[in-house]
Amino acid sequence: MEESNMQEAPQSEETVLITEQELSEFEATPSAIGFPMPDDAPDPGTCIRVERPESGLAVVTFDSPHRSFPIFDAPLLRDLDTVLTELENDVTLKGIVFTGRHPGQFLAGADVEAIQEITDPLLVEQAVIAVHALFDRVERLKPRTVAAVGGPVPGGAFEFSMACDRILLVDDKSSRIGLPETMLGILPGWGGSHRLPRRIGIPGALDCILTGRMLPAKPAKKRGLVDRLVHAEDLARVASDIAMGRKNCRRFSRGIWKWLIDRNPLATSVIRSKALAGVDSKANGKYPAPYAALDLVLSAPGAVRSTWAAREAKAIGTLATGRVCKSLVGIFFASEAAKKLGKRADGSEPARPEHATVVGAGVMGAGIASSLALARVNVRLGDLSSKALATAISSHRKEVEKRRRRKRLQPHAANAAIDHLVGVEGLLGMARSEIAIEAVAEVLHVKASVFGELAEQLADDAILATNTSSLSVTAIAKDLPHPERVVGMHFFNPVKAMPLVEVVRGEETSDETITRTCALAIALGKTPVVTRDVPGFLVNRILGPYLDEAVRLFVGGADVERVDSLMLNFGMPMGPFVLLDEVGFDIAQHAAASLHAGYGDRMEPCPGLSGMGDDRRLGRKTGKGFYDHPKPGDRKGKRTVAQDLANFQTESWASSLPDAEITDRLVYAMVGEAARCLEEKVVKDESTLDLASVFGTGFAPFRGGLWSHAQRIGLEAVCARMAELHSREDVHARGGGADRFDPAPVAARMTE
Amino acid sequence: MIAPSAPSIVIAAGLRSPWIKAGGQFRGEDAGHLGAAVTRELLARTGVRGEQLDEVITGSVGPPHDQANLSRVVALRAGIPQEVPARTVARNCASGIEAVTQAVTEIRAGNGSLYMCLGVEVMSAYPLIMGRKLTGFFERMMKARSLLARLSTLASFRPSMLAPRVALLEGLRDPISNLLMGQTAEVLVRDFGLTREDCDTYATESHHRARLSRDRGRFEREILPMAPLSRKPIMDLVRHDDGIRDDQTVEALMRMRPYFEKPDGVVTIGNSCGITDGACALLITTEEKASELGLQPLARIRSYAWAGLDPSRMGLGPVFSSKLALEQAGCTLEDMDVIEINEAFAAQVLACKQAFASDKFAREHLGQDEAMGEIDSVKLNPNGGAVALGHPVGATGGRLLLTAAHELAAGDHNLALATLCIGGGQGGAVVLERINGSAA
Repeated sequence: MEESNMQEAPQSEETVLITEQELSEFEATPSAIGFPMPDDAPDPGTCIRVERPESGLAVVTFDSPHRSFPIFDAPLLRDLDTVLTELENDVTLKGIVFTGRHPGQFLAGADVEAIQEITDPLLVEQAVIAVHALFDRVERLKPRTVAAVGGPVPGGAFEFSMACDRILLVDDKSSRIGLPETMLGILPGWGGSHRLPRRIGIPGALDCILTGRMLPAKPAKKRGLVDRLVHAEDLARVASDIAMGRKNCRRFSRGIWKWLIDRNPLATSVIRSKALAGVDSKANGKYPAPYAALDLVLSAPGAVRSTWAAREAKAIGTLATGRVCKSLVGIFFASEAAKKLGKRADGSEPARPEHATVVGAGVMGAGIASSLALARVNVRLGDLSSKALATAISSHRKEVEKRRRRKRLQPHAANAAIDHLVGVEGLLGMARSEIAIEAVAEVLHVKASVFGELAEQLADDAILATNTSSLSVTAIAKDLPHPERVVGMHFFNPVKAMPLVEVVRGEETSDETITRTCALAIALGKTPVVTRDVPGFLVNRILGPYLDEAVRLFVGGADVERVDSLMLNFGMPMGPFVLLDEVGFDIAQHAAASLHAGYGDRMEPCPGLSGMGDDRRLGRKTGKGFYDHPKPGDRKGKRTVAQDLANFQTESWASSLPDAEITDRLVYAMVGEAARCLEEKVVKDESTLDLASVFGTGFAPFRGGLWSHAQRIGLEAVCARMAELHSREDVHARGGGADRFDPAPVAARMTE
Repeated sequence: MIAPSAPSIVIAAGLRSPWIKAGGQFRGEDAGHLGAAVTRELLARTGVRGEQLDEVITGSVGPPHDQANLSRVVALRAGIPQEVPARTVARNCASGIEAVTQAVTEIRAGNGSLYMCLGVEVMSAYPLIMGRKLTGFFERMMKARSLLARLSTLASFRPSMLAPRVALLEGLRDPISNLLMGQTAEVLVRDFGLTREDCDTYATESHHRARLSRDRGRFEREILPMAPLSRKPIMDLVRHDDGIRDDQTVEALMRMRPYFEKPDGVVTIGNSCGITDGACALLITTEEKASELGLQPLARIRSYAWAGLDPSRMGLGPVFSSKLALEQAGCTLEDMDVIEINEAFAAQVLACKQAFASDKFAREHLGQDEAMGEIDSVKLNPNGGAVALGHPVGATGGRLLLTAAHELAAGDHNLALATLCIGGGQGGAVVLERINGSAA
């Protein structure tokens, strides 16, 4: 599941890869380090401080004046070169400590913006080899070197630490250490692909590098990523003591396992096939980085020392300049930008609500309430049905219990998470809530009356957020007091897994309301996208034509499994028919009808779905849809395609369509609608649309999102193909729904 | 008597969990969670903010061993800010009332004006305890250094050491008179010449009244439907006391065997209170503060009193304590419109009833010539009592006050007496008074 990888990447690197600095033009010739030097580079010698608190000890502090969070950029590497020369020539030294400005900040790894810009593999290789040379010099330093780190220690910062003799990590909640490079489509290229497997063994290193997970302090110590944990207050003292030999600190060692596993060809071949299967299931051949990393790590223990730099440089040169890396970095930047939505214009952040109300204990309401409770917000979940409340509470507790069992929650935190969700029959005692999110029936007057009742209890500035997917936020807000605090907060099902939240701005919604709602979405670990109040907002509006085209293909005689596997192969997380089964036919039809009402003929749904059956055939929740689904609780059962589908396929024109045509019909139906969304400014810009398409529809992340995909193909070619599809006989014959292949909106984007 | 200047203290609001038979739907509960659930809801419904409280006082007889100050756990889990202190109090079966009377004392002393008072008891969680013998064995094993010493200590192990002590049973035995609580009721049966039929008839009536009150929704105003902690998914909220037997008949009760004194005793499981889990929270404040908070109080606390007596006749506690409380309130037994006497045992309530009405008892034990008066059965436990609902020891006191306070409005009454007997030989009583304009 690529999109799940993508979810984790931005989260784990929240404050990691600082990108606020506008990277200026490259210099014509690369500097000696191989990295471009920015125009605003500070004077030589200012990025690293060397202090000598006692004789024989040097404390080296990374402190780039031009960065709020220093990274390994050209000025820093330039200064590191100078400092290393100084240290190498000082024979009086016994110990050296490398550390950050303060215990919660070390270095934020490599310069991601530079990665996005760079296009020449040779240039990349050159830069990588130059940094390798620097890190090798750190490793060869005679005095004992100690990396005293804390806060986020991603990628390059961790690779640097591994070149030191010992690694000390601050034992604090904010500490995170790991190698997240594969999340961005590259791999650890500054020695990490070699030093980590040598340090903690191949299985551990593969787990770190392939998942890209950033580990908190205790697991990092347990797995040997670091040698010792220390309280923030003691970091400097203990690091000095260890560097000077006054305190013992054993370097992590795997002992005999090193020989039994890492250097045992039999063991490594077993690991290779296992890991390869794991990578295949996630990357499906679409992402080159994990495969390259796998090869590097598996052969690392036997690789000759002098070949490390070349091996890594070669791999990363291809990856960093490749399409996938650019796509992933693009999405990464878009999601970083989305995080800024949670801040006011003056940079201040709204306080996280302490009390919240969720109304409606159905699947969505229960999911939203559960995420709030897990984010330590006191939630009152209101519903008239006590059975629905009991089910919602039970499923929340099951989730808490699962996290407790997996040690993601300690027992006391699990208790708190349980305490944070309270079921309420009706709307009693909601007065303290700073935000109320409703997820009741999609009927305007029901939603309006819920909000009306809440408005009487809640403070005037409490946010009233609707999780509607088909009603207009403006219409819901119309008769409420203080309509400026009414907003759409569209979560996707299942709430705990889907990373996107559409924050819908009604006509009267205030900026403060938008900011507070986005901040809450971020606090829940979601990525907010602000959309205009148009039918279907962004994601459902794009998905509507896609799913409808799929149903039309089905009615036209296309094989369900073939279409699904084509789209899976295209890079969608699941095929359209599996998706329809998951969503439920009733919900899909309701959404389609509201799109039709909103946009007219273009969105006219094919009646195929309604002909498929009654209330007992609505997709997975009823056990039958396009597929037969195993009963709930049956873990071994597999989904199989339903046998009676031929009964509903009234035509046969689609049965012999070539693969490319099927894919194009589905994708271009989305592209056409996306162009209209951009034209109408439903979202701010193209990168936001890309982000929403990846996080909301699961659109192939390696393609960089829907619009990036269209742009890469070339809008001209897209238009041509759409015109071709538009003129197809069946498209003409269908009446409504033909105009979704009208190339005009896409053509209009070309002139922008 | 209360000084005229003393503030008028009220029960501003209250809520309780359903009373659930131990080992039933609350078997996965823990006291901290159960207490916090009612507290949080009471705050939400009254709109009182945690930081406005002066203290959280929780009564509990057997707090869990891992929640040494149960009250503090309850307060913090309920989201009350850490600045608000909390204490756990105990007076055996009256712990729930003790929490309230301590708050009253604090308010009278001028130390505060708003208290969250709880009674919490999860009897399902009462542990089996390893005996002294086994503890001693482990101690010796720890101390044994040499191999030989260890082996010889190991050899001293006897299977009998594994016999656990049942906290529930031992808690219900009075260590001074060495009588189980049920045995003290048998003493009263002999003292007052009660019969098995008297007791079973009374018990049947208790179930009958409780059923009627439940069916007409009388308890809805005091019970908070709960989503109990449980390993299995819960299907619905728990909203009713589950000890009430709808089809209870005297004949069925008569068939049960005496539990405490065989073969001639009259106290059976059927005419005793059940072992029960539950929690109750009351907001105790002054009348002035209540109106400041915009609350319509349930009842005024007119007076309260505690009294001591013979531990082997502890069941008569209500008689002794009620005399004192009524004197303080300046009322007579006859003035009381509602009388809640906790039904530890049907026999014990009947004995109290006789003692209240007996001139002889008054002369011998109460130092007065005339009896306090007859109790009209209609006034006594109009909604049934612990025989039907159950008796979560530490929480019962809170329920008596809550039920009596609601009954004032529900039955359009003026004065209520809530009283109970206390293991170890005590009685507690509180006189409640309706406030004009109390919520109906």
